[in-house]
Amino acid sequence: MNVEISDLTRRFGRTQAVAGVSLETGPGVFGLLGPNGAGKTSLLRMMATVLPPTSGRLRLLGRDPGSFGPRREIRRRLGYLPQSLGYYPGFTVAEFVEYFALLKEMRPGQVPRAVAATLEQVGLGDKARAKLRTLSGGMLRRVGIAQAIVNQPELLLLDEPTAGLDPEQRVAFRALLRDLGQRATVLVSTHLVEDVGAACTEVALMERGKIVFHGTPAELTARGEDSAAAGDAPLERGYSAVLAAARSAAPAPAPAPGSGPAVAKAPPA
Amino acid sequence: MTAVTAAPARPRAPRAASAVPLATARLLRIELRRNAMPWILPLIAALFWFDSYRPSTGQPPLYLLRTFWNMGQGHTIIDFGPFVAGVAAWMGSRDGRRRTRDLVTAAPRARYAAQLATWAATAIWAVGAYLVFVGVLFAVYAHQGVAGEPPWWWVAVGATAVAAFSAAGFAVGALFASRFAAPLAAFGGFFAMVESSQTGFRDTGGWALILPTNSNGNFQPDSGIFYRYLPDLPIARLMFLAGIAVAALGLLGLPAWAGGPRLRRAAAVVTVAGVAATGTAVGLASTARLGPHGIVIPALHDAASDQPIRYTPVCGRAAGVPVCLNPAYQRYLADVTAALAPALREVSGLPGAPVRVSQVGALYESSSGVGSQAMTIAGHPPVLSLPLGAAVVTLPGPDGHRGQRGAAQAFDQSLVLLFAHAFAGAGNGAGTPAQQAVQAALMQGMGVPIADQPAVLSLGPSSWAPATNATSGPVYGAARRLTALGPAARRAWLTAHLTTLRSGQLTLGQLP
Repeated sequence: MNVEISDLTRRFGRTQAVAGVSLETGPGVFGLLGPNGAGKTSLLRMMATVLPPTSGRLRLLGRDPGSFGPRREIRRRLGYLPQSLGYYPGFTVAEFVEYFALLKEMRPGQVPRAVAATLEQVGLGDKARAKLRTLSGGMLRRVGIAQAIVNQPELLLLDEPTAGLDPEQRVAFRALLRDLGQRATVLVSTHLVEDVGAACTEVALMERGKIVFHGTPAELTARGEDSAAAGDAPLERGYSAVLAAARSAAPAPAPAPGSGPAVAKAPPA
Repeated sequence: MTAVTAAPARPRAPRAASAVPLATARLLRIELRRNAMPWILPLIAALFWFDSYRPSTGQPPLYLLRTFWNMGQGHTIIDFGPFVAGVAAWMGSRDGRRRTRDLVTAAPRARYAAQLATWAATAIWAVGAYLVFVGVLFAVYAHQGVAGEPPWWWVAVGATAVAAFSAAGFAVGALFASRFAAPLAAFGGFFAMVESSQTGFRDTGGWALILPTNSNGNFQPDSGIFYRYLPDLPIARLMFLAGIAVAALGLLGLPAWAGGPRLRRAAAVVTVAGVAATGTAVGLASTARLGPHGIVIPALHDAASDQPIRYTPVCGRAAGVPVCLNPAYQRYLADVTAALAPALREVSGLPGAPVRVSQVGALYESSSGVGSQAMTIAGHPPVLSLPLGAAVVTLPGPDGHRGQRGAAQAFDQSLVLLFAHAFAGAGNGAGTPAQQAVQAALMQGMGVPIADQPAVLSLGPSSWAPATNATSGPVYGAARRLTALGPAARRAWLTAHLTTLRSGQLTLGQLP
């Protein structure tokens, strides 16, 4: 198993973003669904080794990210696209991807070829010399994907990767995901259900920091077949049905008085 | 986007040791190309031109005088420091402002290493620009025929100061990442410079000498001409500034996000080493004393630094007497011979009249300050030792305070005063009343009327200056009597009494 998570929690002050998640997955494309604020991004940040868990057990690629040496090894095999992609506006597309390739300790001699190939993969070959500040939101998202996959990661974490992509790009991206999933574990956090249906072999649904469903897209679809849940597509109905069931089973607790915005602790090195 | 051909997960080869410097070089190349520092350089260049170059051009063409106005007083550092600190803070805060922290942190290369690459590119631009600007400054000086040796130690101090500003600014930006970090760091740099300058004016000794804008240093009257710029204080300042830079960079490695435990321990050691170097430098500066050639720090002083600079003099003649100068003063040879000619003619044939004039290095007199050095006539045959260094005489040529004509007149009158003072044997002080009277009579004979002499005396050391501009006292009365004797009688009297006069035993009443 490339990802082994057991009873993982993460708190920000009084807010529990991740509340006892357990998960195991191997190579393939794993979809992480859930509404806004469900805890998907916090879970991915912990898996990206930038946010330490409050409690629980996390093993990635057979290593414990809590220790410095294994964490570094994980990072060398990791690709990560944050939900909010930061970038350096003055860098060119190629420089930005090269920069992160070098930070990922790729062999310098391999970097130029890897950068060129990756930019072709994400359809930005002709924009290699363009400054990032000149790109559209969709193109920037593809730059983010490029930096995540340039090192051919064994564990790829993508947080809302299709946000801002046009339909044609999304179709191409799903094909890319399927190919990446043949040799790596790809976790895709999204709230776009159709992405999961098209590309994922496994799916989990998070709600209020917990995983309330874990199965295949077909199984999620089946959950909506006999329900009156809202949704235009079968998978969406399954998603809505599972969410509705989870919410009725565990009513939302009233927010603690004075609970402010989430404050992240310093990530580990 | 296109699909890739599926490939099995492959084992990763361990990194080759040789790949690390290459990767660092590539990171540095990207950072150099995309650094913000070049954008601010035109502004610094304009400031450098108006603040460091232009004021110096009003000074006589000697490196020590020209560079005192920009390097000696720290103006070159002031021109760079606040801007460099601000831009460095901007670069240091980049990951925070651009929200790339997670991306950088999720990479295996320590974030500290990535930050050091960003800082290094910033510092290379800043220090490189400093060296280029100073290089252009010196090239322009050389084109203008500026003589003497450039103060290379002070160039090194300036470059290190720029590096220190970049490191401190970068640390501020990295540790307090926000869009306000840059203006705060720039203002902080400016405030530090202002405080440093004011402290330099107030405190002319002790620890304050370590401040890079403190002008009480090595720019002595003939530094780089007769003797070297002493490296003692520059070495202490290099330690001080490098210590600040090292400590600031070490601080970046202390937070948890910076890197692994080993790296953080190393960063802690680096920080402590930087603080120790800074403290040691301050301690060394507090032991400094001002010697004749500049600041001496006993623990750093090398006697070899006191060796004079060898030179082949350039010579002319004044009233038939050879006059030899250091080649750095060659452009003043004609002025010197013209100024000394009436003086040498006036005393020609008298006992102790010099048969040769030889320039000597002007020294700082720790007891009475700069500008107290008199000419001396000594030896057999007598040789006039002539100090011309800055603050001993006003060199001819515009100096920023006077025009061409005023400076030339002041120069001529200064040499006549110093010559007459030396001939009367008055030494470094004002002399006895009899010596003052003879000096006044000689100056009258050399072309400086008694009525003008109080003003001319103010051109010499402060201890020679009269209390009032009146020429009615007993000294001037005696001088007028001596002048009234007529040339032949006056020469006869001087021939008879010069030895007693120079020994200080002649009283005013014994004058004719």
